[in-house]
Amino acid sequence: MQVTETAAKQNAVYTVLTLAVLALAIVPIGSAVFVLGFVHGDSPCVMCWEQRIAMALVALIGLFVLRFGPRPKYVGLSVLVGAWGMFMGLRHVGMHAARDIGQGFSVEILGAHTYTWSLFVFWVSVVTMAVLLMMLREGERTAAPRALRPLEKLTMVVFLVVIAGNIVQAFASTGPPPFMGQGDPVRFSFNPRHWVWSLEEWSPAPVTLRGRWAVEKPSVEGLPADPAHGPLTNVPRLEATGRTQIAAPLKGAITGLAYEDSTDRFLVTTEHGLYLLDGALQNVLRYTIVDAGYSVDLGDFAGGAFLDSKTVMAVGENKSYVILREDDQADAAKNFRYFLESFDKFSEVRRSRFGTVRARMMYVMSLAFDAAGKSLYTVTVPNSKSKSLVVSRFDAADRTLSEEFTPTLRAGDGPALAAKRSLDEFYVTGAAVEGGRLYAISAAFNTLLTIDLAAHEVVAAHSIAGIERPTGLAIKGDHLYVACADGRVVVTAKPIS
Amino acid sequence: MEFLNLVLIFITAWLVFRKPEKERLAFRILVVSVLLMVFLFSMATRTALLPGVNY
Repeated sequence: MQVTETAAKQNAVYTVLTLAVLALAIVPIGSAVFVLGFVHGDSPCVMCWEQRIAMALVALIGLFVLRFGPRPKYVGLSVLVGAWGMFMGLRHVGMHAARDIGQGFSVEILGAHTYTWSLFVFWVSVVTMAVLLMMLREGERTAAPRALRPLEKLTMVVFLVVIAGNIVQAFASTGPPPFMGQGDPVRFSFNPRHWVWSLEEWSPAPVTLRGRWAVEKPSVEGLPADPAHGPLTNVPRLEATGRTQIAAPLKGAITGLAYEDSTDRFLVTTEHGLYLLDGALQNVLRYTIVDAGYSVDLGDFAGGAFLDSKTVMAVGENKSYVILREDDQADAAKNFRYFLESFDKFSEVRRSRFGTVRARMMYVMSLAFDAAGKSLYTVTVPNSKSKSLVVSRFDAADRTLSEEFTPTLRAGDGPALAAKRSLDEFYVTGAAVEGGRLYAISAAFNTLLTIDLAAHEVVAAHSIAGIERPTGLAIKGDHLYVACADGRVVVTAKPIS
Repeated sequence: MEFLNLVLIFITAWLVFRKPEKERLAFRILVVSVLLMVFLFSMATRTALLPGVNY
């Protein structure tokens, strides 16, 4: 009686496995070749091919278990292939998941593209394997091959037919060795005149882990400082009309500077700090240290701006931002989550992220607010993968991208580009807007750029005496205040251009 | 190369189905097929082996 019950349970496990293999063979693998491929002309890309083959391998291992029992090497290999399959799915989905709504690669089925379904199928496969393992009993390993039941024989035949179909499609779409699948495959056809066999995947290419996503964090260390070695010639020098040292104790180096004229106050940002200083830059009137790791990862602050006389904003190098409002009634206990110090001086208004297009793969080290245009500006800094000077404008109301441009140099008797040089070499670390002009200070070549925001042109460039590793820029009256990393602030007359 | 791999899979399945006494050979071909699949995917993604997203 006991033996009969055990045999019945064992048969149930094999039945479940048979149905799982059958479903895997028919639904994703079979429909992909016979319906999508032969009927609709869909051709898998090289990554899709490997994902499809991995599904076939999972099903094939299932056939091994049906034939020879659940041997450890089968179970182990099935988990390995399933895990690798999920990785392939993630790798493939990662290429397209963050695109605009509805975008993707090739065919969409029931609201998801094929590579996304592959990730799901592998996940289901691994879960199914785990459930089957839990259903197995001790001593169910078989030494001799099992005699197949009719449903199991049918499953093997179906699998062979599905693989045969795939062999036909693979021969037409990818060709015999050494040809292999393509990144952008052409539509499937039974007509040999339309077949494209490619060796493109064998061509030399660098092997990297993250490719263009391996972007180093921005830094002003080691940048060339001499304006004479910069990409522009005919760069007049602005003399310093004043110098001061911020004497107030700040936590960390200065990363940004802004000025608000109605209250005659400066905003200074450090890595995670916001400080309101008096107009002489000597006394801290109010400050806080933000918990940059709470919710949105703010990274290190790159710059700050006044949005009005009571509201300040700081943006991180990764274009995440926080908006704070001065609040003498702030609840210190409630603010524990937002701040690391000085809990009762500000209320947090919002913490979120800027999204960009041209500037997407680059960090920023500046923030400017244009009250007249109701806009916020950031300027990119180049990195080893992307070198482009991109000005991004965001609507101040919803902080959504409104415009992006890469400024060109205005033709005329102003600055000129040296041979084989580019504006992209500048490393803008501070910015301020006034009168339709964006003033941007570059830590590379210590150069001040004046950008016409309507014309998208650099209309003037100046060197500034006495600055070293500038990290912030503010406009106060007719003067520019350039903050340096060591706490010095150099004052110079605002150029007329 | 995908054509070759699918042929290997077909042969393996055939052995499992019709020639179960050749289990060792079938399993060896299966392992080769798995390694070939991993190699080809890695070749196709060698310029960025990991998903291109923020980490």
